[in-house]
Amino acid sequence: MRVFVRLLSTLLGLVVAAAGGLLALEVGWHWWRPADAPLLLPWPAWRDRLSELTWDRSPVPLIAAIVAVAGLALIVATLSARRRTVRMTDPATGVSVTTSPRSLARLVGHRVRAEDNVNGASVTATAKKVRVRATSRLETENQLRPRLRESVGELLSEVPLARRPKVSVVVDSPKDRR
Amino acid sequence: MSKSVSTKALARSYGAERGLTFVIGLIALAAGVVALVVAVGWLGDVRAGRPVLDPLAVEWLGNHAVPSKIVAIVVGVLLFVFGIWWFLRSLRPENRPDIELDREIGRGLTVTSGAISGAVQADAESVDGVAKARARAVGDKENPALRLTLWLREGSDLKAVWEEIDAHVLARARESLGVDVLPTAVRIELDSGERQRVR
Repeated sequence: MRVFVRLLSTLLGLVVAAAGGLLALEVGWHWWRPADAPLLLPWPAWRDRLSELTWDRSPVPLIAAIVAVAGLALIVATLSARRRTVRMTDPATGVSVTTSPRSLARLVGHRVRAEDNVNGASVTATAKKVRVRATSRLETENQLRPRLRESVGELLSEVPLARRPKVSVVVDSPKDRR
Repeated sequence: MSKSVSTKALARSYGAERGLTFVIGLIALAAGVVALVVAVGWLGDVRAGRPVLDPLAVEWLGNHAVPSKIVAIVVGVLLFVFGIWWFLRSLRPENRPDIELDREIGRGLTVTSGAISGAVQADAESVDGVAKARARAVGDKENPALRLTLWLREGSDLKAVWEEIDAHVLARARESLGVDVLPTAVRIELDSGERQRVR
């Protein structure tokens, strides 16, 4: 997503430059030689068309909707393209450390799968929250969950994270369904 | 709060591109919504029935022809310059500054970014528990910094690795460059050894 926003940003920069350049050029040319206008763009035709077209006639609402949706898409793209790295404590002045959420999830996943009676686990992590979803055939949720929570908490206290994420554990066990 | 050099070095700067794209999105959304509101007739049916290029506006512009032309040209030139700056800024690759150790004329001493990143990388990879390391110089000439990305093997002790990196790798880099402080951003990928495949 960040590459996409960078690409969009490049294109928009070019569009703004082109629009500004054409505006200055056309107005200046029209001022200097009114008889030879237009220079590059057929703006007198656009002007005539726009002075006939009223706001409620057909292409206007459609174009307005397209512009609004495109703006919304840009906003969504930029908002979702934020950095999701997990900060760790600075070990010395002038040194900053981060890790990726994926790394953190991998670390937690290894620990959870190494616990007894865990058949499988999926972990998602952000800087604020670590979600663990484990499956177990032998223990119920109430038996396994405190143990997993404690184990993950212990692991997270060993990793020097800048802020300690909350841990949520869900256990999926067939024994609970009986 | 201004970011420290090492915090800035964590990732390629990106705020301006993202912020400007967001602003353009906001403008487009606002313009589209306003035009839609006018078209639907929420500002009155008279407004909705008027031409898009309103004769009143055209007349006003005609009465103030010279100032409006000047304003249009100035705005156009400013937009052009701004757009070119924005375009070049989005396209430029991230800096790899050389580190100048001595700037006195006649005895300048510069360490190229390739040399320093190669040395630090080789040092970091020799640390126990580090599967792979990448180092590069980032920032600008006035505030150079080092970005070090470490891939740690599964089960390696983060603290031990960290002490080793700080005590040997970075200390050696600082020593050989003859600086007291070398702003450094470290990105750590945990548990990224070779994947075990099921055969």
